[in-house]
Amino acid sequence: MLEARRTVQALAALIRVSVATAMQYRSNLLFGLATALLVDAMRVAPLLLVYGQREQVAGWELPHALLVTAFFFLLFGVQAAVLEPNLGEAVQAVRSGALDLMLMKPVDAQLLVSLRKVDASSLFPVVSALLVGGVALGMTELPGPVDVLLAVALFGSGVVSLYCLWLLAICVSFWFVRVDNLRFLLWSATDAGRWPIDVFRGPVRWILTAVVPVALITSFPAQALRGAWDVELLGTSAAVSAAFLLGSRWAWRRSLAAYASASS
Amino acid sequence: MHLLRALPDIFRVSFAGVVAYRAEMVIWILTSTMPLIMLALWNAVVDEAPLMGFGPTEITRYFAATLLVRQLTSSWLLWELNEEIRTGSLSMKLLRPMHPLWVHAADMLAAMPTRMVVLLPMLLALVAWRPELLALPDAWALAVFLPSVFLAWLLGFLVQAAFACLAFWLEQTQGLFALWFGAWMLLSGYLAPLEMFPEAAQPLLGVLPFRGMLAAPVELLTGRATPQTALVDLGVQLGWTVVGFAVVRALWNRGLARYGAYGA
Amino acid sequence: MIEARQLTKVYRVPVKKPGLWASVRSLWDRETRDVHAVDHLDLTIGEGERVGFLGPNGAGKTTTLKMLTGLLHPTSGSCTVAGHTPRDRHPDFLRSVTLVMGQKQQLLWDLPASETFVLNRALFDLDRVAFQRSLDELVELLDLSPFIDQPVRNLSLGQRMRCELAAALLHRPKVLFLDEPTIGLDVQVQAAVRTFVAEYNRRNGATVMLTSHDMKDVASIAERIVLIDGGTIRFDGPLQQFRQRFGGGRRLVVRGVEDLGDLGFTSAEGRASATVEPDQVNGLLQRVLERHPDAEVTVEDPPLEEVLATAFGGKEG
Repeated sequence: MLEARRTVQALAALIRVSVATAMQYRSNLLFGLATALLVDAMRVAPLLLVYGQREQVAGWELPHALLVTAFFFLLFGVQAAVLEPNLGEAVQAVRSGALDLMLMKPVDAQLLVSLRKVDASSLFPVVSALLVGGVALGMTELPGPVDVLLAVALFGSGVVSLYCLWLLAICVSFWFVRVDNLRFLLWSATDAGRWPIDVFRGPVRWILTAVVPVALITSFPAQALRGAWDVELLGTSAAVSAAFLLGSRWAWRRSLAAYASASS
Repeated sequence: MHLLRALPDIFRVSFAGVVAYRAEMVIWILTSTMPLIMLALWNAVVDEAPLMGFGPTEITRYFAATLLVRQLTSSWLLWELNEEIRTGSLSMKLLRPMHPLWVHAADMLAAMPTRMVVLLPMLLALVAWRPELLALPDAWALAVFLPSVFLAWLLGFLVQAAFACLAFWLEQTQGLFALWFGAWMLLSGYLAPLEMFPEAAQPLLGVLPFRGMLAAPVELLTGRATPQTALVDLGVQLGWTVVGFAVVRALWNRGLARYGAYGA
Repeated sequence: MIEARQLTKVYRVPVKKPGLWASVRSLWDRETRDVHAVDHLDLTIGEGERVGFLGPNGAGKTTTLKMLTGLLHPTSGSCTVAGHTPRDRHPDFLRSVTLVMGQKQQLLWDLPASETFVLNRALFDLDRVAFQRSLDELVELLDLSPFIDQPVRNLSLGQRMRCELAAALLHRPKVLFLDEPTIGLDVQVQAAVRTFVAEYNRRNGATVMLTSHDMKDVASIAERIVLIDGGTIRFDGPLQQFRQRFGGGRRLVVRGVEDLGDLGFTSAEGRASATVEPDQVNGLLQRVLERHPDAEVTVEDPPLEEVLATAFGGKEG
């Protein structure tokens, strides 16, 4: 219990420092916000193009597809602000030997290594997510409280699996220091999350649910918000994130053991 | 002439570099599979009924061609040059009696054969699986395709060179480039065939530089171009190439003067 | 070969005051301060000379080298190197000079050094015969053959530096600018680099301009010393004269004797030494020999580190 409290305190302190750093560069922040909003607007455009031609695509109407996009922007923000910077930090730490120092701290090493930094200036997609989500909800009936709660839970569960995926990348970096390209690969793979999962068929659909679990984060919560959830949906999400949690924790321990015996 | 004499050796060394980074190269190529994600969406759209002459076959052919042309025309000059300017390693390159941009250009071209080695089997497998995808374009279209795809590559290279030169003054060139890249994805035919855009937008799309960077060669390859559109596209590409050269030249010279004034 | 007239480099650095309001104000009202990195420097170096360019950190050494290689543009004044104005970056100029920086590298990191050599052959447009000849010579002088085909990232720092030197000299430049070439190297490699530079100068009659913190570099390579501090030249003359001017004294060393403390000697490791003005050497020598008629006494120049410490007035060693 004491260790858990210490871990939380340590993480909070690290995050405070990150935010303070970002606030040092206010003009950069404004510029970043402007570019992010413009880029995100261009990301929505193809959807409008498609729905300019069709009422429905793979069973999804425009407002619901927009909800998927909103969750996609949230995913984007989490990934850019939390997951990616920490992979970079971890690689640095392995290279410079600072990892040894981190492992000496009396807090959970996995959390300390994988969540030590928040790049607050990359959180702008959250603004886009709120804008797009607001517009989408304005176009349909408002979801009921149960739907909202489920959507939040599903999104959380999806984020956990995505975190585990990036943690696996950190584990890989213990062996291969050059993981820049792995970063790009994760980014481009998660890009598929911007469309409703039903447009994908066969193995791709399965991959996007269980291997690169973007559907869990974008389509599943959107499904809940439109009231179209069922037990299978909830069960899949829970099962996939549980598997990711266990698997990544195992991989982390294995890598630490390998790291400890490899370095001198 | 010195450049021509130097080319074979620059190629040879760059190629050795490509071989040294072959794992990264494969990941890079996998990273640019975005067209396949778009394909899934558009496939779902045209599944019920063809749209603007695009059925499932045509849309698959379109995005397969997009994938190919994208691989043939992509550059990573921006990241390389940014890094050189930031770390000062540009200084060492400036002490050689050849323009660093030429060396980079040769470097990028040298990676081309390897990219093809990875990509062609993928395309061949696709064609073997769905033979109806293969529709060889007319001889004239194939002949025009070569200069068209070269100009598309050159335009992309010049754009990145221009944005990279901004690193002589700014630290946020990547944010600016993201803005450009967003516009490019939307307006070049990367996310959707340009035919899907409203009629009113077509003349504008025709004169902007984006079309010449992707859609023009893709349409030649998929047999959707006519001799008239091909000629106009080539003209527009040439025009923007001239503009690009002028801009890069001006930015480079000024940037170098600044580099020389403030520390190298 | 190298000619600088009133060469001046002024950096304008922003003055940053603490506090939020000051940061906001600085958006439109930037306060700046001028820093004279190099201040009206006059310097003439002839063909084949070996010059040690000394000075404390921030004295303007690297700034001067970068202006002489065309990487930095002078704020005022002019310089000519090998008949060219460096900032024009004329291809003939670039072919006749080279710059080696101990902390920057041009070798391709993930490839063997031999690939960088081939690339430089192409970039400098060397004909194959001349290239092969200078490569063979460099490989032999620097003893590169054991590791020339290993990726650079697997080389030790010393091996890498030797390859750097080879890459920088393939085109047989007439002027060598060496900026801290031995920094971080172990003693043997440092010695090898020094011998090599001297040998290159002897064989090719090349002009060498060297900055270093390591006085052994300077003592073994340079025949002329230019001392710079605060962007201006404090001394310019032969190495011998530099010693006399700043370390005017001679050092008397007596071996196997300990009891000379009263004569101003300090003892360490079985030898006693004292530094005195040149005109007092004979007197002191006599008094030592009176006490120990068969003592083994030598008269030496003081180490260059001491000389330099005197020159900078205790600023830096």
